[in-house]
Amino acid sequence: MTETIPDFPTDPGDGLAAAVALRRLADRVEDAEVERALRAGWTWSQVADALGVTRQAVHKKHAKRLAAGGAAQGRR
Amino acid sequence: MFERFVKDVRRAVVRAAEQEAQELGSVTVEAEHLLLALAADEDSAVGRLLAGSGLDHDGLYAALERETERSLAAVGVALTDFTPLRPTAPRRQPRFAASSKSALHRTVQIAASRKDGYITPPHLLVGILRADIGTVSRALAAAEIDRVELLTQAEGLLG
Repeated sequence: MTETIPDFPTDPGDGLAAAVALRRLADRVEDAEVERALRAGWTWSQVADALGVTRQAVHKKHAKRLAAGGAAQGRR
Repeated sequence: MFERFVKDVRRAVVRAAEQEAQELGSVTVEAEHLLLALAADEDSAVGRLLAGSGLDHDGLYAALERETERSLAAVGVALTDFTPLRPTAPRRQPRFAASSKSALHRTVQIAASRKDGYITPPHLLVGILRADIGTVSRALAAAEIDRVELLTQAEGLLG
């Protein structure tokens, strides 16, 4: 079996920058996928379950921006 | 201090930095968004200085993507195409994060220590470039740009 997990970076600066980049990537993936799911007809509750957070939390975070962009309907 | 800065002069740059952050789908305004805002003003002295090092808006953008790519690669995550991740509905009010606040605080301090009664884009550029750790410094390194040399040039603009 091939080793696919790389060694952790030796320079802590690289490791810390990786944490920053991953956090930003996660934010961007979440924004894009919440929008996609709602456009595809998912409800806020389903999105919340998929993300493992409460419906209130996901709604608070995304409803405003998506309403402005026209993605979110009045779905619960 | 931060309020004085905003009130003083650079409302336009700060607003432009917020837009840069939103366009990139960032939930925060970081130092690199301030730098992107400065680079976008192509006809300014600061814009020309940055362009001279290959850091016009597109060049800086590319350097930042290279930095992200490198940082992710360090933990085995490969990402070469960012386009599908750009949200079509950006967060409306990104908040200023530590990196941009620090840059703005340094900018105010630089102006104060020089007894300049005003803050100009060169002050802000110096304030951003003084940070030797962080995304901006890493992006410059990724683009093989000497940050200290660029900082010296920026200080030259202060007169």
